[in-house]
Amino acid sequence: MTRHDRFGGFAFVLPFVGFYSFLLILPFFMGLWISLHRADLFGARKWVGLDNYVRLFGDPVFYQAMGTTFTLALLIVPALTVITLLLALALNRATRSAAIFRGLFFSSSVLSVTIVTLIWRFVLTPDAGLIAKVFTAVGLEPIPFLSHPDWTIPAIAITTIWWGLGLPMMLFLAGLQQIPQDMYEAAALDRASRWTTFFRITLPSLRRTTILVVMLQTAAQLQIFGQAQLLTSGGPSGSSRPIVLYIYEIAFGRWELGYAVAAAEVLFLLVLVLTLAQYWLSTRKEDAIR
Amino acid sequence: MSAAATRNRLPLPALIGVVIGAAIMVAPLLWTLLLSLKSNSELMRDSAAALSPPYTLGNYRDILAGSDVPLWLLNSLIVSLGTTAAVLLLCSLAGYGFARLDFPCRRSLFIFVLLGLAIPEQAVILPRHQLFASMGWHNSYGGLILPGLAAPFGVFFMTQYFRAIPKDLDEAAMLDGASRFRIFWKVLLPLSLPAQATLGVFTFLGSWNDYWWPLISATTSDKYTLTVGLASSQMNYAQTSGLGFLMAQAVFASIPILIVYIIFQKQIVGAMAGAATR
Amino acid sequence: MKRSRFLLAMAAVFTLASCERVDDRPTLVIQRFFGECGAVYGRSIDVGKADTECGILTTILNRFIAENRDINVKVNVVAWPGYPQLAAQIAAGDPPDLVTMHQSVISDYQGRGLLAPLDQYLAEAGIDTDDLTLAGQRGAVKDGRYYAMPWDTIGRLWHINTDLMAKAGLMANGKPVLPNSPDELLEHARRFKAATGKPYLIQAQVSAPDYLVANLYTYLLAQDVQMFPDGRHIRLNTPQAREIVQLYKTLNTEKLTTIAQDFPAATASFVNGEGGIFPTGTWMIGPYDDAARASDSRLGGYAMLPFPRLWGNSAAFVDGHAWVVPADERTPEERRAITRFLKFAAQYNADWVRTGHLPALRAVLDAPSFRAQPHRSDIAAMAATGRQLPDYVQRQSAIQGLIGEELEAAVTGLKPIDRALADAERRVNELLAQI
Repeated sequence: MTRHDRFGGFAFVLPFVGFYSFLLILPFFMGLWISLHRADLFGARKWVGLDNYVRLFGDPVFYQAMGTTFTLALLIVPALTVITLLLALALNRATRSAAIFRGLFFSSSVLSVTIVTLIWRFVLTPDAGLIAKVFTAVGLEPIPFLSHPDWTIPAIAITTIWWGLGLPMMLFLAGLQQIPQDMYEAAALDRASRWTTFFRITLPSLRRTTILVVMLQTAAQLQIFGQAQLLTSGGPSGSSRPIVLYIYEIAFGRWELGYAVAAAEVLFLLVLVLTLAQYWLSTRKEDAIR
Repeated sequence: MSAAATRNRLPLPALIGVVIGAAIMVAPLLWTLLLSLKSNSELMRDSAAALSPPYTLGNYRDILAGSDVPLWLLNSLIVSLGTTAAVLLLCSLAGYGFARLDFPCRRSLFIFVLLGLAIPEQAVILPRHQLFASMGWHNSYGGLILPGLAAPFGVFFMTQYFRAIPKDLDEAAMLDGASRFRIFWKVLLPLSLPAQATLGVFTFLGSWNDYWWPLISATTSDKYTLTVGLASSQMNYAQTSGLGFLMAQAVFASIPILIVYIIFQKQIVGAMAGAATR
Repeated sequence: MKRSRFLLAMAAVFTLASCERVDDRPTLVIQRFFGECGAVYGRSIDVGKADTECGILTTILNRFIAENRDINVKVNVVAWPGYPQLAAQIAAGDPPDLVTMHQSVISDYQGRGLLAPLDQYLAEAGIDTDDLTLAGQRGAVKDGRYYAMPWDTIGRLWHINTDLMAKAGLMANGKPVLPNSPDELLEHARRFKAATGKPYLIQAQVSAPDYLVANLYTYLLAQDVQMFPDGRHIRLNTPQAREIVQLYKTLNTEKLTTIAQDFPAATASFVNGEGGIFPTGTWMIGPYDDAARASDSRLGGYAMLPFPRLWGNSAAFVDGHAWVVPADERTPEERRAITRFLKFAAQYNADWVRTGHLPALRAVLDAPSFRAQPHRSDIAAMAATGRQLPDYVQRQSAIQGLIGEELEAAVTGLKPIDRALADAERRVNELLAQI
């Protein structure tokens, strides 16, 4: 290596590191600082130490939002994982129809959240929605999907699952492609049944992909925002308000920037801890198997 | 898709499941399309009117005649393409630097970048809004594009990819006396096209679907992206009777990206699969 | 080769994006709610032919643009009520120049120094503040200065389907008979349902946090209950409030009202004759009147009256729309553009109140053409009996959201009434303590 090279390397990474530091790291530390202040949206700052965090953990609405967020994640992540795994298994074929179906199930992923909620609003709404029309046609009372506390969270979950099938399905398909063909051939020689092959070969080989899907989806669903804001505005009476919508409302509805940022920091820790925990659990199990 | 064991046809129960799933995927889209083809006054009476003729293209005419949707579409394109191009450039450069070059603090800088993977967007968006306000960057294409550039995943991804390319290739070029940048530009970048495609698709979709940042950064409607513009139309539905018009906006706004998707479906799906095997 | 072409294309996109047409006209960003109706009124400047809040305002703005080519006007249509966006815009350092704002919300922004005083603008626009109605003046003056140009006075009314009321025997001398007490209301409602098989009330309770709050405010103000003892406290968990909320809860539990309807659904129900009375704003007088007169109408007879006197005096919680100017640095040209718009808007106040609102200008209120419009004599009283919230309380918009959320929980049975009111009280007080 010449001397020129030793520092020339900087030139390649510096542009990114510069943007990255300014756009992600600096705001991150600004956020920690702001969260220690009674700060309003328009620049007023007063040092209050950990007061915002203390308030947060005494706020029943914060717990309600946490509960909603976890419920949504619990409804969405397992369902999404299972459905997309099944789809991948069914569509992992070289036929033309499988290709068309793959394209179809991925297509919703290219739509933006606004369009997805627009579409689903008029599927779900009890007066003009598609489901309501079907229900009325067969003489049933339409379900108040967007207004009854028992239905709003499922409605958001269904919308999200419909929207998010594409990526996990693709991850599973890619995972399936990576399973060495000779493993199946060996199983065929042993006259293993289809189920045995599935449980002994396919599923274990998809372990890493499954962990990846679950981790990515958990992190994504804990940050769910647009669907809830646009479909239900978090209602009725806050029962479908996830944590990010709570942060948004505190910041821009109540102008309490410091308090909102404190809530965002708690969300950050939550995502971090959950991701690490999932990672740790999965690697520990791997060791145990070995 | 080439796995031989899976060339056989789908068993019947699975086929039924897939067809039902496909119907659930398609029905909302079809319903939206039908609603968009009906006159608003007819839908105000009863939206079930969408299931029977007469159909009209009137709502689409209205969009082209006097709505902001085409402008929002253009804004979304500019922001998403701009973000994608910049991310590809920055992440490729940095990935190459981290994978191939030796310089002081390389390892610690790389770890510094990886730490960013743990920071979710939501944790920085409010302070970043304040930061951009103090710089006077809001309500501009630059202000909408910049936050997307802090993409540690992209650097990680490109670094991994460059590491996997055999070193003899650039060493041969080095012997020919090519400069570092020339090797990067002429040898490694072309080899990394599949990775570029994957990262590009992800970045483009992420930026195209971004909602919260443009919602608070674009302050006049001529800078709205599609997501934000349609959100205001949607929330305003309560005060209008233009259900057909609203749905026509949704269809109109989805058509370009759906066409792009259909044309490049193979590449996009391939790119997605590429991401999974990394 | 391919790569450089790609980069070239990208560069082209950027240049295209960055080279906006050079425009040396002053820019005027006008931000409004009231909905989006480009489908119908996209390019129309015929104000006289327009209907509904959205239609009339859209044509007024179109006309302003057409007549003021030397101003670069940008119109933002925000979702109702648009205050989170406004807060974000102000925080971004890029507020609009003119914004529609509820008069009850003005003190939130004025108290934080976010609005420009308008005395001079109004004077330059030739608007004599003595010509404004008293309600308008009350809504726009804070700390002795004008911070808004009032544009109307709005209230809520009972919009009534008289055909169905007649069927239930609730008409006398061609006028609807309204209850005088909560018990009588329930009695009417049960009788109505038995006679028609339809709910007595149509209520838009979904995604309308302001609806129940307006009812609560109305009947608390009617009883002279002091809701805000000072600028830092609210008192909500009172016997009077509990009784009011109980009434709305009973209506729900006995299904004497439509349930789970948002505004479009409720309005469709009313127009289709699926219920007796729709309590909603003055702004629907025009549309419902048209709907009732349409040849294929299913609404039948239509009348409207102020909220009935159920408790205390007849009083109504009224509010109003106003134009405000967020504080910002502006050139003299931009200031002149704002002045021109205020003048223009005041000129069209008579057209604006065809929506059903009460005008903010005395001249319009007294004009025979206004009085000649249908039903206006029925509601003119509201200008006198109307009551507003005390202006020493800030964050009214956020407070309304918090109370609305808790009331929704109470009337749908998610929470016991006293707990919901106690929670609302606690949450509002916490908010006020942080100012």
